[in-house]
Order: sequence, then C-alpha cells, then structure tokens
Amino acid sequence: MKEVKLRFKFIKRSEYKYLSHLDITRIIIRAVRRAGVKIKYSEGFNPKPKINFSNPIPLGIESLAEYADLVILQDLDAMDFIDMMNTQLPKELKLVKSKVIASKTASLMSDISVCLYSFRLKTLSPGKGFKDGFDGEMGEKVKSHPDILNSILKLEFKKGYNVKDIVFLKLFGYAKIFKERNNRIFKFNNFFGFFQDLIKGYNVRVDYVLKEEMFIFKHNNLKTPMEVVN
Amino acid sequence: MRTVKTLKFKELESLLENIQKPGRYINKEIGTSSKNLSRIKDPCRIVFTALVFPDIYEVGMSNMGLQILYDIINRSSYFTAERVYSPWLDFEERLREQKVKLFSLENRIFLDCFDIIGFSAQHEMLYTNILNILNLGKIEIIAEKRGKIFPLVCAGGPAVVNPQPLSRFMDFMVVGEAEEVITPILEKVKACKKNCRDKKWFLKEIRKIDGVYIPDFYKFYYFKDGRVRSIEPGYKVKRAVVSDLDKFNIVTTPIIPSIKIIHERFSVEIMRGCRRGCRFCQAGITYRPVRQRNAVSLIKQSIEGIRNTGYDEISFLSLSSADYKDINYLVNGVLSNLKTENLSISLPSLRLDSFNIDIAELIGSGRKTGLTFAPEAGSQRMRDIINKGITEKEMIECAGIAFKKGWEKIKLYFMIGLPFEKYTDIEQIILLVRKVIYTAKDILPRQKLKRFRVNVSINAFNPKPFTAFQWAAQNSVKTLKEKFDYIIRNLPRRNVKLSWTSPYRSKVECALSRGNITTGKVIENAWKAGAKFDNWTDCFKFDAWEEGFRKAGADIDFYTTREIPEDEILPWDIVDIGTKKQFLLKEYKKSIKSSKLQD
Ligand code: SF4
Repeated sequence: MKEVKLRFKFIKRSEYKYLSHLDITRIIIRAVRRAGVKIKYSEGFNPKPKINFSNPIPLGIESLAEYADLVILQDLDAMDFIDMMNTQLPKELKLVKSKVIASKTASLMSDISVCLYSFRLKTLSPGKGFKDGFDGEMGEKVKSHPDILNSILKLEFKKGYNVKDIVFLKLFGYAKIFKERNNRIFKFNNFFGFFQDLIKGYNVRVDYVLKEEMFIFKHNNLKTPMEVVN
Repeated sequence: MRTVKTLKFKELESLLENIQKPGRYINKEIGTSSKNLSRIKDPCRIVFTALVFPDIYEVGMSNMGLQILYDIINRSSYFTAERVYSPWLDFEERLREQKVKLFSLENRIFLDCFDIIGFSAQHEMLYTNILNILNLGKIEIIAEKRGKIFPLVCAGGPAVVNPQPLSRFMDFMVVGEAEEVITPILEKVKACKKNCRDKKWFLKEIRKIDGVYIPDFYKFYYFKDGRVRSIEPGYKVKRAVVSDLDKFNIVTTPIIPSIKIIHERFSVEIMRGCRRGCRFCQAGITYRPVRQRNAVSLIKQSIEGIRNTGYDEISFLSLSSADYKDINYLVNGVLSNLKTENLSISLPSLRLDSFNIDIAELIGSGRKTGLTFAPEAGSQRMRDIINKGITEKEMIECAGIAFKKGWEKIKLYFMIGLPFEKYTDIEQIILLVRKVIYTAKDILPRQKLKRFRVNVSINAFNPKPFTAFQWAAQNSVKTLKEKFDYIIRNLPRRNVKLSWTSPYRSKVECALSRGNITTGKVIENAWKAGAKFDNWTDCFKFDAWEEGFRKAGADIDFYTTREIPEDEILPWDIVDIGTKKQFLLKEYKKSIKSSKLQD
C-alpha cells in the first residue's frame, strides 16, 4: 500500500495547555483513528503508530506552533487531512497547516533548533525605567543568556487604550543549542526563572507567555518546519 | 432562588500553579455531554446533578458505572450531570488555602449549587473521601443538620448493599442497579424544585422506588453491645435490578480522558452476574441474576464504540467472562471487523482452564503479557470449603499449555485467613506456586526462563455482607501477620514477585463493610483525625481509624474478629438483596461440613 508522510502544524490553547506532551500525543493519535485515517504501525510485538512530534513544550504554556510527522497508508490530500482531523478535535487543539513531505525528511526533533516565545509583561510603573533597563544592563543580561539567540531579541511597546503599561517582548530561545557548541537542550523553565528574577527589580512581571513559532536553521536562515519542506 | 455559581477559567488558572497533573482539573475532554450553561434559559427547570467518584480522576474515570448514569442523565433535556472527583492532596491544600469551594469539572459549578449530589461508593475505603468532598464543597456532612432541601446528598454503588455506615451522611441511598431508577428519582427532584417542596415531601415521593433506602424512615434499636435488637418498620428495601440489560445500550460515546488514566480502553459490559457461587464472593450474590447481553448487538456496539473513541483496546467486562456463552463468537466477530485497526482485546476476568486458553491466545495476539489464575486457596480442601471449582490438575495443565504457547508471566491470586483455615492449607499455597515454577522449568526454553515471572498476590479474607461467610470471623491482625510471615519466609524467591495488602487495612475494610449505625460516627471521627484516600497504601493511617473507633466508643473487633451467631439480626437485613438469608446460611453450613469431611 502507498505510504504517505504528512507534516502538520497545530495549536494548543486554553485548557489544553495543561496537558503534557504524551497526553497530546495520545489525543492526536486517537483523533487520527477516529477520523478513519489508516495509520502505519511499527512492526513487532507492540506496534506503535508511526508518528513523531516536535520538542515538548512546558506545561501551562499556549502554543501556536506544534508540529508532527505522521505516516499513513492512504493517498490523502493535505487539506482533506486537516478537515478530517479538525472535525475530531476540540477548538483548543486544531490543525492549521499540513503538507505531504518526502519520506526521508529529517525528523522534527533533530531539525528544530530555535523557538520563538513572546512574553507579555505587565508593569505597575510604566515608561522609562524598564525601557532604559532593557536597553542597558538588564537587556544585556537577557541577551547574553546562553539560551537566547541574541541577534533576534526584540522589545515592542504596545500602546493603545490604556495599556501603555503592557510591554511585548519577543524572545527567540534555542530549542536546542547546536551540537557544535554544546549539547544543551533549551530548558524553558530555567530561562523563565532567570528572566522573572531579572525583571522583578523593575516592577515588571510576566503576564502571559505564548510560543509563537519554531524554526529550523537552514543556510544561515531561520525557516519554519513547513517552509523547509517546500 | 438559588443561583448556579461557577469558577472562572482565569481563577482556575491561578489555582493550578505548580499543581501536579493539572489535567485532572480542567475538563474539555472529548465526549462530555453536560448542558451548556449559557444556553440554559431557566435554571429552575433543570435538575443539576453532580456525579461524584470519591477518588482521583485517573481512578474515577476508569469506572464504567458513572459514565452510564452520566449518559442517561444528559440525554434528558430536563437534567444535566457534571463530574466531580477527589482533588489530589496538593490541590486540596490549594483549595483550602485559597478558600475556594470544590467545583465540578464541566462548567466548574460549585458543589453546593447542585440540586443533587450522588456518590459512587465502589468500596468501603472511599467513605472518608466522601466526607472530605462534602466538606470541600462547604456542605454539612451530617444529613440531619442539612435543613434545606438542596443539595440532596445520596450514594449508590456496590458498598451500599449495607447502607448503615453511610446513613448518617446521606439523605437517601440507592441499593442495586441505578439505570432504571435514576430517571424517576430525578423527575421527583424536578417536581420538588418547580413546586418548592421540602425534603420530607421529596423523600416520601421516592420511597416506593426500587432500591431506595431512606435512613430517616427506619428506626434501629440496638443492644448495649452494638447488636441490632429490632428494626422498624419491618419491610425491606428491594435491590433495584435491571431485568433486560439489552434495553440499556453500551455507552458508545463515552468521555475520552485527556490525561492517562488507569484503564485506557473502550469498555463493554457483556454480562451481569456470576453463577459460580464462591462462598466468599459478594458480587456473586449482589449482581444476580446472571444476564447476558446479545452477542450480535454487542459486536455492532463494540465496532461503533471503537470508531467513536479511537481507542486501540477494547475490554469485555463481566464477573466471569468465560461463562459468557458466545464469547468465541464475540471475540472473533469484533476482531474480524476491526482487523486493520490494530486492536487489542482484554478479558479481565477470564477464568482459566484448558478450554479457554484458546480465547486467551486469540486475544493475546502477540502481546503475551500475563495470564491470571485466581485459585484463592492453596489446598483442595480449602477450595471445597469456599466452593471454588477449580482443581490443581486443571491449573497446572493450563499453565503448561500457556507456557508452551509462549506466555512467560503468570499471576496467582490467593486469600489467607479463610474460615476453617489451617497451616497445612497455607503450605499448599507455597507448594502450588512451586509446582507452577517446575512446570515452567520443564517447558520454557532457557532464554525465556530468565524472564519467567510468577506474580503472587495475597489478600486477607474479609467476611462480606450477603455472602455465605457473612457470619464468619476475620483473623486477627496478629494471626494474619504470622501467616503472611510464613508465606514470605517459605515462598521461593527466584522468579516470584509477592504482593499483599496490609492486614490493618483489611481489618478496617471488614469493619466498615459489616458496619452498623455507629460506624458512621467512626468514619466521621477517623476523617477528622486525618483519614482519607484509605485505599492508597501511602495515605492509609491506621492510627486515625483507631482514634475513630475509640471516640465513637466502638470496638473494632466487634465488627471483625467476632463470629456472628446465625440468629443475630444483621444491620444489612434491611435490604432484600434477592437471595434469601436461609440460602446463605445453608451454604455456610455446607462449608462447615466440607471442612469436617476432609479433616
Ligand atoms: S469469585 Fe468470581 S467466579 Fe467466584 S462467584 Fe465471585 S465473581 Fe463468580
């Protein structure tokens, strides 16, 4: 039978952010089975579906970009796959993109190296203090944190109706430090603890965190897992 | 008018910080069917029902009973049911610290806003958790002190065949199978709500419904020492029984848990009741008569359920699956229809003999994880006493076939402290285990022998209400310990893994199952002394129970190590279980006779 490998991107929001990587894995596999999509199983005594997910996300964080590769045994259009899956999934866990990929495509776990997190910060004493700190010593500390890809650190101040006290900070953290440098895996919670301590002095706290995207380093460029398989 | 108050998601989020497995508290699983609160126009016309399983989510969600009721209730447009489980210790602490009342999963409705709260008492060791949940919901635990009609508090499930221990806390209880009686009961709640009736009116209205026991309507007179002198009025509560199981379909769209639970599988009840008649077995009596579901429709519903849920395991439940007459047809039918689904089948209560090892093999389909035998006793003499119709020859033969077919793990269940037990009977347990090991050594190739494992599980015998042994004495903790010690010392070590339950826990369980009205005070005291999650080895506190008995002025031995005279009125005589006391007594006498025969 024809084997098709599909890559898909999904979101994990609201209540579903409290579910672990393994929980989400089981939920997705059951959804595939309910959708009636023929899954390829591994050989052996305890056959497992051929599905591989991107790196686990910390419990309690919402994500707009989770990925998985799935091998199925039927000819299926990527768009149809999305439709079939989304009728089986709750609104907190939906597929947003899908593509048929070559069977020898490198695995997500080994390929993804950068994650983009955005932090919504709240401050009680808005304005200069934090901005100055960020431009100065505090910003330096964040940038020089081993888990941060410093060239792409961005701070956005969001103005608007009565929310000038809300600051958006976009941080690209390594999902995984490149093997050549050292073999460390990006530990979000490590960084998060460090970061919270750091900003405490500025009367600022993290209000909300969102994982926005994941990237693969290709020819010195950041590409999303969907772009690399183009 | 009472309003339905709920906890906002934002508020829940702030409670969940650093809580273990937050997935236990968030709902949004696929398959929930409670009413959407925002679409309810007039809450006064809807009966809000909380279905409570007083253990953690992972345990509660593995139980089929509540899912059946959940399904029945939510199908009605006048009722809605939501689930409640025990919060784990860390979350309980958080709730108490933050002064947040316990709430249901679906709409996060605070417990005290429900019209009726129903507890599933699967076993006695959940009793303290019931009190804890009421308390977390800021609901008075003593029924008498709850003046207002709502919320009504009730309980059902296997443990309440003896309703006395929970009487102190419950407005009413349902003895037996609730499927057919739940709707008429909720209809009355609805009428009560609509016409602003009081509790008395409501209880009077439901008193004639099968299975309904209302503590308030009975009066128990006791002797000083705790024995029952008389019960008024004389008529009994008739256990509710579903006459035609096929009238209630399997729930083919169950709630699919998001987090990992104990049993992750689609469960199908194929039969209710068991005709084997083991004399220690309560379920064998309390689920009579034996009723089989139709195999053709079971196959259809099984396929539907697997398609609806996406599970890769299906479990055929009953007390003794091999006795289901179309078992081969059923297993084959399901397997052949779902060939491509990589499905595995489990038959948790498959009683093994050489005939159905074939079924075991058929469903094993490669995963030969373990076969279970429950000889319960080591000697033939003892098996005759308890009426367990299985011989050693059969078992060894069957184990042999199993080893030949590739199994390398066997589980053996035994009980100690059975009536008329002698040390020679316990020796025979050890001998039987040895024989199984020899058989394996004869048959299994070297390579496999390394992995070969016998899991021996030993429990203390508990005399249970509505069994032939309900009058028998439980061994003292000291005697049980000596017997356990003997087994530990003499059981071969190689290839054997031994597990047993604490004799202290068995003692408490026995005291609760044979409890009377005073037991309610004991439970209350024990809970106040810190007892909860009594079924969890790490949480069980015997001290708390000792204190519970002492403060209630009760002697635990009165309920456990005492042999009850056959003419004594039993606290559970109030229930007509469907089997006559005379029959049980006759069975008890047979066992005495058989103990003498082979002396
Ligand atoms: S122990 Fe098992 S086989 Fe024996 S009566 Fe009970 S359910 Fe039936």
